[in-house]
Amino acid sequence: MKKRLYLELENCIGCRSCLAACTQCGGHEERNRNYVYDVNPLVNRQTMPLMCLHCVNPACARSCPAQAIQIHETGAVLSALVEKCIGCQNCTIACPYGIPKFDTEQNLMYKCDLCIDRSKDGIPPMCASVCPTNTLQWLTDEEIEAKQKQFNLDNGKWVTSMPYLEGETNVKVNLPGILQGVTKLF
Amino acid sequence: MQMDNFRNERDQYFKEIDNLNHPNETLVKTHCSYCAMQCGMNLRVNTKTNKIVGVEPRYDWPVTLGKMCPKGVTAYQQVNNKDRLLRPLIRDDQSLKGTKNGFREASWDEAYDLIVKKFTELQENYGKDSLSVYSGVSMTNEKCYLTGKFARVGLQTRYIDYNGRFCMASAAGGLNRSLGIDRGSTIPWTDVQDTDCIFLAGSNTAECHPTMMFRVWAIQERGGYVIVADPRETPVARRADLHLDLRPGTDLALANGIVNLLIENGHIDEEFIKNHTNGFEDTKELVKQFTPEYTSAITGVAPEKIIRAAEIYGKAPNAIVMFARGIEQQIKGVDNVSGYTNMALVTGKIGRAKSGVATITGQGNGQGGREHGQKADALPGYRKIANPDHVKYVSKVWGIEPEEMPKEGVSAFEMFGLMEQKTIRALYLLCSNPAVSAPDQNYVREQLKNLDFMVCVDFYLSESAEFADVVLPTTTWAEDAGTTTNVEGRIIKINQAQMPVGESKPDWKIQVELTERMGRGKYFSHLKTSEDIFNELRVASKGGTADYYGVTWEKIDKQDGVFWPCKDENDPGTPRLFLDKKFNHPDGRAKIFALPYRPSAEEPDEEYPLRLTTGRVVYHYLSGNQTRRIQFLRDMCPEPFVEVHPETAAKYNIDHEELVRLYTRRGETTYKVKITEAIRKDTVFVPYHWGHEKSINLLTIGALDPISRMPEFKACAAQIEKLKIKKVQ
Repeated sequence: MKKRLYLELENCIGCRSCLAACTQCGGHEERNRNYVYDVNPLVNRQTMPLMCLHCVNPACARSCPAQAIQIHETGAVLSALVEKCIGCQNCTIACPYGIPKFDTEQNLMYKCDLCIDRSKDGIPPMCASVCPTNTLQWLTDEEIEAKQKQFNLDNGKWVTSMPYLEGETNVKVNLPGILQGVTKLF
Repeated sequence: MQMDNFRNERDQYFKEIDNLNHPNETLVKTHCSYCAMQCGMNLRVNTKTNKIVGVEPRYDWPVTLGKMCPKGVTAYQQVNNKDRLLRPLIRDDQSLKGTKNGFREASWDEAYDLIVKKFTELQENYGKDSLSVYSGVSMTNEKCYLTGKFARVGLQTRYIDYNGRFCMASAAGGLNRSLGIDRGSTIPWTDVQDTDCIFLAGSNTAECHPTMMFRVWAIQERGGYVIVADPRETPVARRADLHLDLRPGTDLALANGIVNLLIENGHIDEEFIKNHTNGFEDTKELVKQFTPEYTSAITGVAPEKIIRAAEIYGKAPNAIVMFARGIEQQIKGVDNVSGYTNMALVTGKIGRAKSGVATITGQGNGQGGREHGQKADALPGYRKIANPDHVKYVSKVWGIEPEEMPKEGVSAFEMFGLMEQKTIRALYLLCSNPAVSAPDQNYVREQLKNLDFMVCVDFYLSESAEFADVVLPTTTWAEDAGTTTNVEGRIIKINQAQMPVGESKPDWKIQVELTERMGRGKYFSHLKTSEDIFNELRVASKGGTADYYGVTWEKIDKQDGVFWPCKDENDPGTPRLFLDKKFNHPDGRAKIFALPYRPSAEEPDEEYPLRLTTGRVVYHYLSGNQTRRIQFLRDMCPEPFVEVHPETAAKYNIDHEELVRLYTRRGETTYKVKITEAIRKDTVFVPYHWGHEKSINLLTIGALDPISRMPEFKACAAQIEKLKIKKVQ
């Protein structure tokens, strides 16, 4: 059964376990490939992860003059093929979320591949496996649909899947947020 | 209950998920080395080198389901770390004590011979009690149990205590007093998400026990409530329905204020109070004065927030009260624990699923490590050394005469006082780093320096090892097998994944070999494996409050852990306490305590107007001896800082990231300022994971709770000074 990465941003506590885990997947050369931001550090402890959303029509791949960024059959937008990447950094500029990172020593781009050696077999990526707060989850489409039904959303879509950001993404982000419209028990 | 197919509950989050198996690797199921969440993990072991090479989530562990915090993810990097001690170290030049210098590598034989010679000499000249053992609870039950026996039977000294005095002693004192039993939680953690209200007092849950956070957030998603009492707007307080932003050290007033409102609002369970408790009337009388206004004046929390908190907790069909070091590390820590426990007792929200009381245990084996006799006043199975029947039973198990059992000793911090008086002349330190973790560091380091002889057992050269004459290399948690007892009171299994690095040996083996050389081998030589020790512990704990007799290593594996008490082979254990509403006091009743408020040992004044409080960051564990050596964690948080509210910073004319002098009556140091609105204006906060001149414990106070003997880390009076910038000539 196909599973997707799904994000609930309000759960994030800023522990950066996802980043630690990213270095441990075995295929990531111990470099983490995503981000956790302090939203307003002088004011409060709010944080949020910024993960590759694995766009259906990814700007990074479109912008690559060497076709180094391949899309896996699962939809995962892979890290640039080492033998093809020419180090032009187009992808880092093209991505609306600033996801691709650049290794200046090796002159190579690298990015999240959803731990493809895991996720191709339905095993959750390391970040979603360890996330202590369920900010990052690995869910079936049915489970995501059930989550979506709890909310009254514009066009029935979460914000990140609306046009002009990057259109449809394989990763789903629960925005405007999981606590919207929760009825208190008493 | 039927034993045959019993397995502890799995909840709605449990999913069958495959693990990724890398080529030429095998997975060893175990748990994390750090906090009492004891998250399940698999260690990846290379089958050619037989070395641990990484971590893989343990999705089938029912408490944490593969989740790990950044410390857990990188925990395996302790094992083959470049800083590991590979051979014993001896320092001949005592003048170098307190530094890293002067150590030379030695053989185990030479190190043992020196220790035996010094210990024997000191005991001949100054009596058996001139030796002391200072231990810790970041190690297995087997090691904790044996350490108690090692001190009392092997070294024959009364002076043994452990770092739980800085961690769990107040919770233990309060729970014993209120409920008659000290099992940290009355419910399994798989109940947490299904409660209707969680009241978290003095717990920075998101940073100190991150892997329970998905359960806490789930309460809110269901429409339940999260209430947090903390001087800081921690990540859990930020999203809480209600944040009671109290002054450090004023918890007891808040607890009394809420109990008063629960009574006034009619949210109490009169039947429960009448049939299952004592002490209600006295308490009712005492808390009357704690009106919202009076409580607010002490705590600094707005009266309407106190009213709302009492209303939510009172109305909640099920509610859990949880607390941690924030309320416990105070001179009234035990009273705070009993005070908050009163909330559950007057409302009857205890003794059933989804309702109860829990202390969120700090150290990995903070629970099991305090049950089996490495505490100054305790013997295995939560027996008491002051009770002749208890002494008789344990003496028999140990094969000594009851008269040979040493008397009660003193608490960890008080041992430094005895070192000053030269009552204690030698120290055998293991699994702890008091040269960072004890309060009033200038005093503590002086006492360590003045010891006649000190042995430190560690796997790294800790700040405390810098005071030792002999350092013995021990193993990390992954190089030995054994059990720990987690935050829930669930006994779980740690499995060996790698052979010991270098010449290091597990603590229990060192103790057996040392006692053999001290002529006490007949009490220890039969213990050939960790499991042998566990089987002796089972017998030693039998019939005690913390009864492990029915627990076996096999049963732990079979049913995903065993909750104590577990009295015999057919007993599957006790996940939930008090389901029959019988508490562990002789009359079966819980005790509601009337607790008058008293201020902290050192309240702010003109000279020291700020309240200093200390705590943790998510990237480091305890004294940082382990986590500061791990690259990812060091990168994320390389150094301590002082959190200051912007209005306070403006008053002192200090900026974000500016270096300031922070000082108290006991010491001073300099820190970078971290400006944040997420702290009270009258309070500053510093994390405590660093040593030497960066240790905040140079400033903290050694004032102790009268019952638990726990120091008041969480509140003392401090002052900030802007550093004068010298003009460049």
